[in-house]
Amino acid sequence: MDAVADQAVDTFIQVTEVWVPDRDRLVLESGAYGDLGAFAEASRATSFAKGEGLPGKAWVEARPVVLKGFDGSYFKRTEAAAEAGLTAAVAVPVFAGPDLKAVLVVLCGDDEARTGAIEVWAAKDDLMMLDDGYYGAAKQFEWVSQHTHFPRGQGLPGGVWSSATPMLMRDLGSGYRFIRAESAGRAGLTTGLGLPVPVPSGQDYVLTLLSARGTPIARRFEIWDARPAKVGKSGGAELIDGICAREGRLWTGTEETPRRTQPWQGVVGQALGRGLPVVEQGSPSRTAGYDTMVALPIHDGAALSHIIAWYC
Amino acid sequence: MKNLVVIGAGMATGRMLEHLLEADAGAYSITLFNAEPRGNYNRIMLSPVLSGEKSYEEIVTHDAAWYAAAGVTCRFGERVLSVDRDRKVVVGEQGEVPYDVLVLGTGSDPFIIPLPGHDLPGVVAYRDLDDTNAMIDACQPGNRAVIIGGGLLGLEAAAGLRLRGMGVTVLHIAGHLMERQLDENAGYLLQKDLEKRGIDVICGANTEAIEGEGRIERVRLKDGTVIDADIVVMAAGIRPSAKLAKDSGIDVGRAITVDAQMRTSDPSVFAVGECVEFDGQLFGLVAPLYDQAKVLAATLLGQEAAFVPKELSTKLKVTGCDLFSAGDFAEGEGREDIVFRDPGRGVYKRLVLEEGRLIGAVMYGDTADSGWFFGLIKDGTDVDEMRDTLIFGPAFQGGATADPLSAVAALPPEAEICGCNGVCKGQIVQAIEAGATDLGTVRATTKASASCGTCTGLVEQVLSVALGDGFSLPTAQPICGCTDLTHEDVRRLIKTKELKSQPAVWQELGWTTPNGCHVCRPAVNFYLLADWPLDYTDDPQSRFVNERNHANIQKDGTYSVMPRMWGGMTDAKELRAIADAADRYGAAVKVTGGQRIDLLGVKKEDLPLIWADLNAAGMVSGHAYTKGLRTVKTCVGSDWCRFGTQDSTGLGIKLEKRLWGSWTPHKVKLGVSGCPRNCAEATCKDVGIVCVDSGYQIGVGGAAGMDVKEVERLVDVRTEEEAIDWTVAFVQLYRENARYLDRPYKWLAKVGLDWVKETISDPAERQALVARFDISQSVYQTDPWAERATPEAARSFLPIADLTLEAAE
Repeated sequence: MDAVADQAVDTFIQVTEVWVPDRDRLVLESGAYGDLGAFAEASRATSFAKGEGLPGKAWVEARPVVLKGFDGSYFKRTEAAAEAGLTAAVAVPVFAGPDLKAVLVVLCGDDEARTGAIEVWAAKDDLMMLDDGYYGAAKQFEWVSQHTHFPRGQGLPGGVWSSATPMLMRDLGSGYRFIRAESAGRAGLTTGLGLPVPVPSGQDYVLTLLSARGTPIARRFEIWDARPAKVGKSGGAELIDGICAREGRLWTGTEETPRRTQPWQGVVGQALGRGLPVVEQGSPSRTAGYDTMVALPIHDGAALSHIIAWYC
Repeated sequence: MKNLVVIGAGMATGRMLEHLLEADAGAYSITLFNAEPRGNYNRIMLSPVLSGEKSYEEIVTHDAAWYAAAGVTCRFGERVLSVDRDRKVVVGEQGEVPYDVLVLGTGSDPFIIPLPGHDLPGVVAYRDLDDTNAMIDACQPGNRAVIIGGGLLGLEAAAGLRLRGMGVTVLHIAGHLMERQLDENAGYLLQKDLEKRGIDVICGANTEAIEGEGRIERVRLKDGTVIDADIVVMAAGIRPSAKLAKDSGIDVGRAITVDAQMRTSDPSVFAVGECVEFDGQLFGLVAPLYDQAKVLAATLLGQEAAFVPKELSTKLKVTGCDLFSAGDFAEGEGREDIVFRDPGRGVYKRLVLEEGRLIGAVMYGDTADSGWFFGLIKDGTDVDEMRDTLIFGPAFQGGATADPLSAVAALPPEAEICGCNGVCKGQIVQAIEAGATDLGTVRATTKASASCGTCTGLVEQVLSVALGDGFSLPTAQPICGCTDLTHEDVRRLIKTKELKSQPAVWQELGWTTPNGCHVCRPAVNFYLLADWPLDYTDDPQSRFVNERNHANIQKDGTYSVMPRMWGGMTDAKELRAIADAADRYGAAVKVTGGQRIDLLGVKKEDLPLIWADLNAAGMVSGHAYTKGLRTVKTCVGSDWCRFGTQDSTGLGIKLEKRLWGSWTPHKVKLGVSGCPRNCAEATCKDVGIVCVDSGYQIGVGGAAGMDVKEVERLVDVRTEEEAIDWTVAFVQLYRENARYLDRPYKWLAKVGLDWVKETISDPAERQALVARFDISQSVYQTDPWAERATPEAARSFLPIADLTLEAAE
């Protein structure tokens, strides 16, 4: 299958990379850099000790980290990033119980046209409060988010928090009123993916990816349930929700046979088998016809519970 | 080409059209009426649309292009006014359409409870997209929704509205949520799950009225509770929509009656979906509707087909709530339960077996094998061979041995055994290999089962698998076969885990039976009411027969009735009333060792009457049948006796008035003697006070039954007030800590008098114990006779069959 013809739109995330621990350092496992070859080269030549650079900070602090503005910060690849036009990054540690499996880093460029949101929410005083977030040009939405909090069960962050399950919400800004709908609509945000980010301290974090039509974070989202409580002892994962710009709904109704995958089967299967995030680029036949695909595993304790996949 | 007119573009008629067009697209010219201004969409996915997790476009089954390609003439947004069967025409708002064959798919209407205020603006039903949009429109952060009905739809609406930012309260009239699909235990887990999402749930809620000026503002319950509301969602069920059929003269029972070919009383008219009644049954779930659709399509094409209702299963569409229910799971004679619980993961599975077959299944938190179990139910498979490992699912079937231990043996080393401390099987096996041979050592080295203790059984099974005969079970005895936990464990866990209901205990402590047994239920009932007097309601069904009937049954089946005589004092009026009652009900009269009068030989049906008579004379139950305070025996004390040092009678009366009505682990008897001559025999009571010149000597832990034992000195105090405080604190400490059915002397032998002394000596702790006792008494110090002397209550004491009647000749 070829890459879809209409995928030339600018995406919100420009670089995605996976860093894995190798003894006492984080080394690059895989990455999708598009045409930012120099930044890719710089990254391949780099590794991070615990506490060093953005991935090392996510490792040592054991929590998701948002970094806006690299100059003068602990970011290590500042020059290469500046050349590539990258101005912000989010690092998400993937823990299986107490063990760090990987750090997923996404990098974005800043311009007037790029709208979207990558947010980190943290539970405090029985409310989900914005820890930090990157919004591109959606400045007003950023302000609203900073002044919003979510009780358990409310909105995307509160819903993910209380159900301990990734969730995919549609039409954030149109007829279906996302709690921050008015400003979400103005910012052009359409689809929201929320996922729990478990960390050893037990602190509750929720990561949300809010995608806009013009500069989508992704044009296909999938949530796979890999809990034995769902799929049985034979393992594998079942697609429980998903939406695709080309194929429409990906979820199956009660009468249809659910889509399942086994470990090592396809990109989602890779993430399932290894328990690590997988980034795939340039092989559309493996990535539903899209150029880039990210599969991110979520663990419940030491066991893998879900895989989130996004494609663009 | 024949004309087929279909009324209603719902899921059943939609599926029927699909089958029909697929088999023979040219068989009919089709006209489709729908009152909604849209075609067929997947109604059961409206809940995720409400929550924002799906969009309407995603749930459209047939869009305009589909109808156009199928050549269906759509009359959407047009109501059908009537059907003229003589002329064979359907009369719509925009005109008539002739038919050769008519299909009614009119669906169902939501049931609106005719409460005062049900017609106020802001009250919505939950049935179609318009209702869904009305609810979405009402969603403003900070607004409050009240959902009336805790069934499938109501709970999905609750979760959706909560995600939209509303404050949500669910009112459910039954004792637990989704009572038609779930048992009490699964209902408990579901409620806990919803409450975790910030949804308030009130079960046993009797709604009295919906109130507001011009639009709804609040909902009032019969118990006086008032809940603010900006929107009320009525989700109390559906009623088949059969009016059009009825008005057309078609046979209608509870719905449109059809035969197995979906034909109504008119051979040209068929019906399908929620509007039909077949063989006395109504249908609300989608699976039988689709079966009906298939049968109807075949019938319309002249093929042979017959509708046969099948077993149904239920799932709730709330993200993160995994539940499944199928078949019949009511308790009954000859039925057997297999229960699996994993409190750490919030998992509950129950299988119901009858005559070697699986007839029902309820699962919460782990539904992976639900399809397999549902298959066993539908097929009526004989499961005798796999009974022991059935609950573990298909992965454990077909092995060489049907041994529950094999399931544990088959667990991989990384399988978690102790959820609290994250200990997996491999670590326990390592500890065993390193020399651990009993539970205590495994616990000490790995921490497995060291916290909540519910995995104790599993740890023991791992020991057993690893050591074989080398492992012997520990000596601490569990309460009964329903659990591996001891009484002491259960008491501790009820407190630390704040378990406040029986389902909470069964689930969180991993009971292996659905609702306990005759051994553990009375104990757990006591522990709950002793620890959570304000939260837990005493369950009479968890009591022994004498406590249930508030009278002691005698060897001839009659009962004894014993009024309280405070401190052994009575008067002429009371004695006259007792004498009259004895005469009226033919009772024998006995003076007891506890300084009271026992009326023996009273028939069960006379109990409420004699109680009412004694109540009228100012007397209350003596609780001679309870695990609670019995008597306070006194001597005449300083008022009358030459040797009396204090007012022992007065103190006895005060103590009895303070302590009566309280439930205790076993019976409690007190004595107060006015001097060391001890005429009230206080030194062999559970609490015995001996008055001396310098004050009061309080002894505890005496016995004069199967065991005879003198009290041990708890404390000497100077004032009567202190004596009362110490006694109340001691009784409360006993209530809070003793094992059920241990008298105080047995409890003291376990915990040691020193600990009791040390605890009660602390003035703050003593006052706290007294305060907790008083809180409990605010609930439980009531006269059971007065409560049961009413005509309604009295009916339960009447014999079921009147054996005095003779057969008519």
